[in-house]
Amino acid sequence: MLGSIGAWLRANLFRNRTDAVVTVVVGSILLYALYRFLRFLFVTGRWEIVRVNLPLYLTGAWPSDELWRITTVIVAAALVGGLAAGVAARRAAEAPDRVDTGPRSPGRVALDLLDRLWPAVATVLLLLILARTAAPWLLVVAAVVVAIAANQVGRRLPLRVGWLVNLAIPVGVVAALWLLNGGVGWNEWGGLLLNLALAAIAITLCFPFGVLLALGRRSTFPILRLLSTVYIELFRGVPLIALLLLANQALGFFIPQSIAPGRTVRAIVVLTLFTAAYVAEIVRGGLQSVPPGQIEAGKANGLTALAITRRIVLPQAIRNVIPALVGQFISLFKDTTLAGAAMGFLDLLRAAEASTQQDAFRGDGLIAEALVFVLLVFWAGSYTMSRESQRLEKRLGVGVR
Amino acid sequence: MSRLLRLLSLLLVLALGAAACASADDDADDTAPEVEETDDADSEEEPDESDGDADADADEETVELTQGDGSLLDAVIAADEVRCGTRDALPGFAVLQPDGTHEGFDNDFCRAVAAAVLGDAEKVNFIDLETADRFTALQSGEIDVLIRNTTWTASRDGGEGATFLTTNFYDGQGMMVETGAFESLDDMDGAVVCVASGTTTEGNVATEFARRGLSVEVLSFEDTNLIQEAFLAGRCDGWSSDVSQLSALRTAYPDGESALTILAEVFSKEPLAPAVRDGDTAWAQAVNWAVLATIQAEELGITSANVDDFLGSDNPIVQRFLGVEVDGAVLDPGLGLPTDFNYQVISQVGNYGEIFERHITPLGLERGPNAQWLDGGLLYAPPYR
Repeated sequence: MLGSIGAWLRANLFRNRTDAVVTVVVGSILLYALYRFLRFLFVTGRWEIVRVNLPLYLTGAWPSDELWRITTVIVAAALVGGLAAGVAARRAAEAPDRVDTGPRSPGRVALDLLDRLWPAVATVLLLLILARTAAPWLLVVAAVVVAIAANQVGRRLPLRVGWLVNLAIPVGVVAALWLLNGGVGWNEWGGLLLNLALAAIAITLCFPFGVLLALGRRSTFPILRLLSTVYIELFRGVPLIALLLLANQALGFFIPQSIAPGRTVRAIVVLTLFTAAYVAEIVRGGLQSVPPGQIEAGKANGLTALAITRRIVLPQAIRNVIPALVGQFISLFKDTTLAGAAMGFLDLLRAAEASTQQDAFRGDGLIAEALVFVLLVFWAGSYTMSRESQRLEKRLGVGVR
Repeated sequence: MSRLLRLLSLLLVLALGAAACASADDDADDTAPEVEETDDADSEEEPDESDGDADADADEETVELTQGDGSLLDAVIAADEVRCGTRDALPGFAVLQPDGTHEGFDNDFCRAVAAAVLGDAEKVNFIDLETADRFTALQSGEIDVLIRNTTWTASRDGGEGATFLTTNFYDGQGMMVETGAFESLDDMDGAVVCVASGTTTEGNVATEFARRGLSVEVLSFEDTNLIQEAFLAGRCDGWSSDVSQLSALRTAYPDGESALTILAEVFSKEPLAPAVRDGDTAWAQAVNWAVLATIQAEELGITSANVDDFLGSDNPIVQRFLGVEVDGAVLDPGLGLPTDFNYQVISQVGNYGEIFERHITPLGLERGPNAQWLDGGLLYAPPYR
């Protein structure tokens, strides 16, 4: 055992004199950096600022007596998510071409889920530990219980009503937004909640828009092609922050204030329009990767152009570009902080910066602690998205022909 | 085909340009009643289009006459909320708390306006603004009033479409140094002075040192956290900002308050005042008298704690001020505010001294010029009668 480690070291790190020097120099720099970082995390870092400001970081200026709206949405999301997962599992089990892997024990399912979502689970656990109150624990436990129960119900539902659950997802999203935005104006949204809401809404809107643009750019109608091309090249050719600043500062002069949307809606519009142009180019790449023979085969079978696009071309095209698409969505999620900085609303990053000037913390130079927390939260979100996309790729067999 | 496309796209661009110009003109006309700045912007961007401007000007004049019945005061009462432009991290003036509320000197004046106009100090919608956005937000009507540590200057009064009201804080730019390093500005020849970028601070330092015939190197930083690090690392000899902020920084300095000294010279006038949009006298007066209520109350010795005792006072000045009947009538000065607005401001927010003590005294700052005129300061409220 020790010998094999030694052999590995010799083969990979100390093969000759140059290698040895590089290994020692780079290795000691890395080790020192790691030591400093760990020391910061566990010894010198003063995490009180994060603990005290958790409500601010997570929900911004959200009024505390309206928190039930968020709680309700979380539990409802667990319900719908559990139901949908249950229906999907049953559908997969009854699919004619399924590969029988045998029944899976609940423990095994939980382990798989933990393996899939560990960055998010770890972050939520950390938040719960930091919060030091019972209410968030209760909420998480309730959400998990509801999700498991809904999953079991979903597995027992007759397949005929399964489509109802599929319908529940978009309806649920709209209802959630309505409920959240009901008593609390956009202006009071803040913190991570705002970043998540901006990203979720913009991703949902920009994807269909981007697909349409991609189809438009490959269309045989010249005017459609021209409009799509002009749009895509226009929005890909300008910096996002310039668009955000424009929407923030100049819009009020073009549209009467009474009908001009608030800053948050402007941010959603700009992020959607901007990302749609990139999504369009990614999807166009996917469209081009579908062999022409597929379309010809569709025509030979007498399918309409719409049916060929919808049932043959798009599924293959989008399957092929999942990694790039998810990359774009992750980028959008992170760009929501740019919107916060450009438009001045209180997203997670701004809340973290602002918290360093509170009476209890100002002058202590705690910006590093606050920013590290922001990094952790965004990393957990982005990495979870990335892992889910890899799982999706595997399931759909991307890269395998 | 390709040539046709190119021609088409050129035509499209031209059409878009024409459409943009046309719609910009339309919008200018539409928004003229609310946004006077639009005309200035137009004349800067399109100096040769004199016809369009003349039209807009004519429209604006007719609108000015009819503006009286469309005051923001009515809009605010209808919305039952004051939208107050503020910021999120200026110690003493406006700081976001862990629960998401805003606490600070400026924020309390927003609350005073809400208490006066709506009778409830909590009916404020605080809108965080970047320094660069604050006047735009005021002009475009995104906020009703700007109370955001903003210095009243002539060009802002004139060029930014803002009307400044009674100064609620007299500040001035000063210089902070390590204790014992320098005795006065004159000792600081060739010094490195650190300031926050994006403010007038930078220019003031250069002007002041040039006036004294001294050389100076100014280092600008994005935010105060970075300046403090640079200062601790010895990269700066002096640290210049408004005295209120220097005080705040000093009280929270890691090496202790006594490690730093604020030099006696104050080399700029920074009267911080609330601002509203130009051309709306009714709303401007309402905001102004809400601010003045806090100053008047302190002069009369009325605080949030004893205001109810004063309701029974037999001093007619106090009675009129608190909206109590004098000679069978309650004074309604015709400001469009409830007759008891002073009482609401004082009982819910407090008088000027209370607000100052709540937020500014912890920064280690004396009243100085912000004392009542009777105590040798600059606070002087016109009589309420």
